[in-house]
Amino acid sequence: MLNRIIFLVCSLILFTACHQQTNSNGEKIPVIGASMLSLQSEFVVNLKDAMGAHAKEKNVELIVNDAQRTAEKQVQQVETFISQKVDAIILNPCEVEASSPAIAKAKAAGIPIINVNSETSATPDGFVGSKDEQAGEIAMEQIAKLLGEKGNVVMIDGYMGQAAQIKRAIGAKNILTKYPDIRILAEQTAEWDRAKAMSLMENWIQSYGNKINAVFAHNDEMGMGALQALEQAKLKDKVIVVSIDAIADALQAVKDGRLDATVFQDAKGQGTGAIDMALQLIKKQPLENNAIFIPFQLVTKENVEGYMKK
Amino acid sequence: MIAGKLKQGSNIISRYGIFIAFIVLCILLSVATPHFLTGQNLLIILRQVSVNGILAIGVTFVIIAGGIDLSLGSVVALTGVVAAGYAHPNTYPLIVPLLIGLFTGVGVGLINGLVITLGKVAPFIVTLGMMTMARGLALVWSDGRPVSNLSPAFNFIGGGDWLYIPVPILLFVLVVVVSYILLNNTTIGRYIYAVGGNEQAAKASGIRVNAVKLFAYIICGGLAALAGIVLASRITTGQPNAGIAYELDAIAAVVIGGTSLMGGRGTVTGTVVGVLIIGIINNGLDLLNVSSYYQQIIKGVIIIGAVLLDRRNAR
Repeated sequence: MLNRIIFLVCSLILFTACHQQTNSNGEKIPVIGASMLSLQSEFVVNLKDAMGAHAKEKNVELIVNDAQRTAEKQVQQVETFISQKVDAIILNPCEVEASSPAIAKAKAAGIPIINVNSETSATPDGFVGSKDEQAGEIAMEQIAKLLGEKGNVVMIDGYMGQAAQIKRAIGAKNILTKYPDIRILAEQTAEWDRAKAMSLMENWIQSYGNKINAVFAHNDEMGMGALQALEQAKLKDKVIVVSIDAIADALQAVKDGRLDATVFQDAKGQGTGAIDMALQLIKKQPLENNAIFIPFQLVTKENVEGYMKK
Repeated sequence: MIAGKLKQGSNIISRYGIFIAFIVLCILLSVATPHFLTGQNLLIILRQVSVNGILAIGVTFVIIAGGIDLSLGSVVALTGVVAAGYAHPNTYPLIVPLLIGLFTGVGVGLINGLVITLGKVAPFIVTLGMMTMARGLALVWSDGRPVSNLSPAFNFIGGGDWLYIPVPILLFVLVVVVSYILLNNTTIGRYIYAVGGNEQAAKASGIRVNAVKLFAYIICGGLAALAGIVLASRITTGQPNAGIAYELDAIAAVVIGGTSLMGGRGTVTGTVVGVLIIGIINNGLDLLNVSSYYQQIIKGVIIIGAVLLDRRNAR
């Protein structure tokens, strides 16, 4: 009985894998497999939605898998895509090194693979994303401007060792070399988590109190946590808070004049760009540019309206 | 003579080991930084520990009854997003999100308890399964995004003050007092110890073991829901990925507090001290700006050290 069930399940999987849809003209509809970093992250969910919407528009079948921040799972997913014989693979890498075998495997199988949002050490056929250093630079430049190039900053890091954390920190520190009168008072991780950032900020307020002039948080969740801690301590009007991602909550806070600025990362631009590039590779069209960088944008109270609908 | 004194000394250490460790930690931190022992900072520590505290008290019931609950962190996320979904301004009165959130947690506790008692599946397995199920449900409910824009009344639970004391602290204290009375002064409390200490003997003496276990899991689920609501309110959003690994902090606090993972032994006061120890370590190391890498090592050492101290008591 059990054998039969297993057989049934296996044949069903094989059937769906081999099953190729065709459009009204009888042409084969291209299939793109996407392995995403984590569908528990709001930005990645937005990226996935943008890819899905654009795939629908272009009449492409998109299979989305969630790698749940595990590079090993991601490599397995790409292996499954290869055995499913998809026409192209979009990789939203979990890790710089550990996700690289996925690139090698797809290339060996002759399936075009492109990275979206972040990089791997192995070179894919194409890349669409942003430079995380730039986000750190834009945020810190804005802090320097608002501080009048002088003051003490505390920095709330993302999850230590992840590409976004490392690069955003590098970008911020690059800018600080230009401003000798701005000092990093303390730096600590809150693991991208709002509650953790709030506790951290409360503790910093105890130890540094009025010495803190500005907060730079590697993402908006943590920025919002720091903001709430400062508001509860009635210090917000004395401290500048800038973070990255432009999530809905942060945009509202910028509009309300609570958060000083956030940095917009263009999920829609990256998602549609990745689908377009995948289609070009499927049709074997030459790419004018195999690395497309979508710039980050500073969002302040002056221009926030334009981002709230995106 | 000296040997007698030493023996007496070690008795004191073993009986009050965890309290002594707590006081020593407090003294060390007070010396290390002037910012630790201030009224405001102590209030902040209490507010920061209240979510973990409420969770830890809930799982104390389950652990004393001889079980374990690994689904706590996911239940925090699930109840947080569910409650937040009914807490937008000008929609429902405050009682609606609170009740729906609490019922969700109680429901999860009920399912855990039923599968464990009637299905006779090990609590570790059942609650491990529930951990991923509840996380999945939280993501489905919220579509993977934070549920924001909550009413001021809802945000008062985690962010407001009542008589100058933050509301989460008041809720934590209330939970502690009620749980203390439940475990020490009621029949059901005695039954929980009896079931966890020796299930066969409890059954033989006519205790309805399954009902007692079910009660423990329902309390645990309900308190996890309360913690989820407090957290969502504190961070003014329901987060589907909130509370990851919170069960570990809660269980660590229970174990530091001298409750035996084998069941039958443990106290609410011990758990409270365990929760406070974890809280002051987090706060103190931040105040001292210790690198987050070292923070993890120090926390681990303190957890094991505290339990080692307590082991002498168990022998």
